[in-house]
This record gives sequence, structure tokens and C-alpha cells, in this order.
Amino acid sequence: MENVKVEICCGTACYLLGAANMMNIEDQLPESWRGRVEVEAKTCLELCERENLGGAPYVRINGTEIMAQATPDKLLTRIGELLEGAA
Amino acid sequence: MAESSASGQGAAADLFIEMEAAQFTKTGQGACGDDVRFLTVEKENRHLVALSDGLGSGVKANVLATMTTSMAIKFLKSNIPTLEAVEIIMDSLPVCEVRKIGYATFSLFDFRLGGKARISEMGNPGYIHLRGTEEIAPLSDMQIVSEHWPDREVRECEADFRAGDRIILCSDGVTQSGLGVRKDMKFGWRRSGVLAFARERIAREPDISARDLSAAIARQALNITPGGCKDDISCAVVYLRRPRVMRVLTGPPYYKEHDAEYARQALLGPDHVVACGGTTANILERELGVKVKVRLADMKTAGGLPPIGTMEGVGIATEGILTLGRVLSALEQMRPPAREPAAARAILERMMRHDRIEFVIGTKVNESHQDPNIPQDLELRRSVVKRIAAALEKNYRKRVILNYY
Repeated sequence: MENVKVEICCGTACYLLGAANMMNIEDQLPESWRGRVEVEAKTCLELCERENLGGAPYVRINGTEIMAQATPDKLLTRIGELLEGAA
Repeated sequence: MAESSASGQGAAADLFIEMEAAQFTKTGQGACGDDVRFLTVEKENRHLVALSDGLGSGVKANVLATMTTSMAIKFLKSNIPTLEAVEIIMDSLPVCEVRKIGYATFSLFDFRLGGKARISEMGNPGYIHLRGTEEIAPLSDMQIVSEHWPDREVRECEADFRAGDRIILCSDGVTQSGLGVRKDMKFGWRRSGVLAFARERIAREPDISARDLSAAIARQALNITPGGCKDDISCAVVYLRRPRVMRVLTGPPYYKEHDAEYARQALLGPDHVVACGGTTANILERELGVKVKVRLADMKTAGGLPPIGTMEGVGIATEGILTLGRVLSALEQMRPPAREPAAARAILERMMRHDRIEFVIGTKVNESHQDPNIPQDLELRRSVVKRIAAALEKNYRKRVILNYY
């Protein structure tokens, strides 16, 4: 069973456009997911200055997958897909 | 590269004079009846302190004390002889309706780097001069009396004030704390008690700043007296030492080729480093090979600003413009750091502990900050830092240096 790694960008633009709402994402995880999701804050993922990525706030999942305009709901849904897919 | 001017405190020949004071107001009074004032005359590399205790307490005492310190410091600066200055001050103080006298004590400290310190006192507890934990006697010590005011004796001392030395000035609220309420201190804490306390603190913490030592002495004077402050408490400390340097790196350099040199600024010389900005932290990570760690627990207690990261062996990292904006408003309004969100508090507390704050400013504009969807106006980094520098100099007597990349 693979764990999921989530990196939340805490740069200014991401923080203002919604990353602040994801700071406590760990507390929102269902009991059965606890211990399987690793959440990290990043000083800046430096994605906001690149074009065509979809817009801040950005979250990086498992090191490569980039989620643009991330919200807690979107993030939880994606974590669920990954965990259940891996189960 | 530009250097901004400094005020209040100053450095020369690698030495820095830290002048700080702590005060508590007599319980029940709205204004402190003591006043402490500092002045640095940059051109002469001269540093002045005036501490005065006005007769009585509350607003009336505050007016007497403030008039005394403001006049005294101006006279000192203009090299008017002490006796003449004392006479002018005495003649100008308003006379108390009840006591039929106008009176305020004072302690004055006048020091030119490379020279001797001169201390003039009237009615205040005698100053304390410490070299490490050793008390140093004055080079000369004499009493002078005014013809107009024969009952007012002024003590004039000359002291050999060297690097590492401290001078402590206080009002009688400090030396008389505990008087009449503590059976074990019939005459209060006394000068000898303050001296013993200061020596003990310095023995424990040889580099203790003037800010921390003055606060510790004032706090102890307050603690000695049960049931609140019986008199206004003021303690000023002057400390001559090597400056403590903090360097704040903020923003990516305009030219990417300058990243390496920019990052090296984090290693060359400063006692403490703060990286303000996500990209800034990333540049340090990349160029210096340090790892920035943001603790998850800190994310939840960040109090409205993005969390703080640590860079092992280098310092801390915070978000940029929001955090600096908060730091700016706290400095401009002189709000104590304790209640600020974690990241702003971390920076403010470090600024208070250092004497010289050097900013290394990358001038590249972050395009994403111009996104109209961002719910607030983001100021330009350079203008925020300029205002921070002005507030640090004006309100906190720090020396500030700005370097642009």
C-alpha cells in the first residue's frame, strides 16, 4: 500500500489564494487514511510564475503531480483516489 | 548599493553603544513620573542619556521629568557647563502648589567613542559602572554646588568607559523598592542590591544586552515590592560592545546570475540570518545546500501568516511580502512582538536583539503578485523594506543598511 505525499506551497500568491485553508488538511483526513498521508509545507514551489499551469494555489502530490487551484475538497478527493487505487 | 543613515545609536571602529531603558509606572497612575531620553550625535560619535525622576507621581511628575530630560540633553549636546545647565533647569521647572518647590532629579551620561564618559547626577541613586562583574570606580569624582540653589548638590564623575563595559542608571523607584513593605529590606533593595543583582546576571549571561539587563533590573525591582509598584521604576543601561548583526535576505536578485553571490551573503559575517520569501529560501537551499524545514505543527499556529521554516546552521525562513508588511506595521506602531503572528514575531524579536540590521534585497518583481485575483494589494518589496528601515532607525535606534541585488 503506497502512502501519498502532499506538498503545499506557502508562497505569497498560493497562501493568499487559498493555501491558508489547506494548512490543517491533516485534521480533515478520515480516520482510515491517517498515517498514510504525509503533508509538508514548502516555502515556495515556484509554479505561480510559470504560465499555463492553471493558477495558484498549487499542491504537489507524490513529487510530480501538480494540482492547480487546489482546495481542501479537491485535495481530499485526489488523495482518496490515490489511496483507494493503491489499496 | 546604498547605505541609509542611522540615528540614536551608532557604531564606530567596530564598536557599538547600546542604550536601552525599562520602566514601570507607579500603580494607579496613568503616566510615568520618570523620563529617560537618549541622543546620538552622529557627527561627534557622541552618545547621551538623560534619566529624570519628577517630584511626586503621575502627570505632574511626568511633566517635570520630561522637561528636565529634554532640556538636559539639549544642554549636554551644546556643551553648556553642567552647573549652568542645572540652574537653567531649576529656574524653569514649574513650582508644585503643594510642596512649593519645583524639582526633578537627574542622571546624565555623556560619552564620545574613544574618550572618557562623563556622568552628572543630582538626587538619583549613584550610577553603577561594571566591567564584566567587576565594579569600576570613577577616574574623578567631585561635588559641585550652585550659588542659586545651594541645597542642590551635583556629583560629576569621569569614567574610563571601555569596550565590554556597562553603566547602569536608575531612579530611586529601583533602589527603594521593597522599602517599608519588606521586613528583610528595611531600606529597600538599595544600590548594593541592584549591584549584586546585575553582577549575578552578568556572571550567568556575560553577553546580556542592555535591553535585557535593564528589563531584568526593572522587573526585579517590581517583584521585590509586594502588591504593585509603589514608585515609578526606571532603569537605563549603556553597553559598549561589538555590534550584533542580523541579515535579512528578501526577494530574488534581478539577474539570475547573481543568485550565488546573493546567497553567500547569508554566510558572510552576520550573527543571524532571516530569509524572507519562498523564492529567497529556495535560492539559499539551492546555492548553499541547506535544507529548509517547515514544521507542520507551526502551520496551524501561524496566526494568519504563512509558517516559519528553519535552515540548519543559517537561520530561519519566512514568507515574504505579507510577513514583512506585518513587521512594518508593528515597527511603525511600536507594537510589542509578543502578540504578532508567529513569523512576524520571530523576525521582530530578532530585530530587537540585534544592533545592526542589514537587508539584502533582490529587486526582481514577482509577477504572480500582480494577479488581480489576489484579494489584497501587495506592496512592492523595496518600498516596504525602506519603510521598515526608517521605523527601525527612528523608533528603535537601530543601524540599518540596505543592499540591492
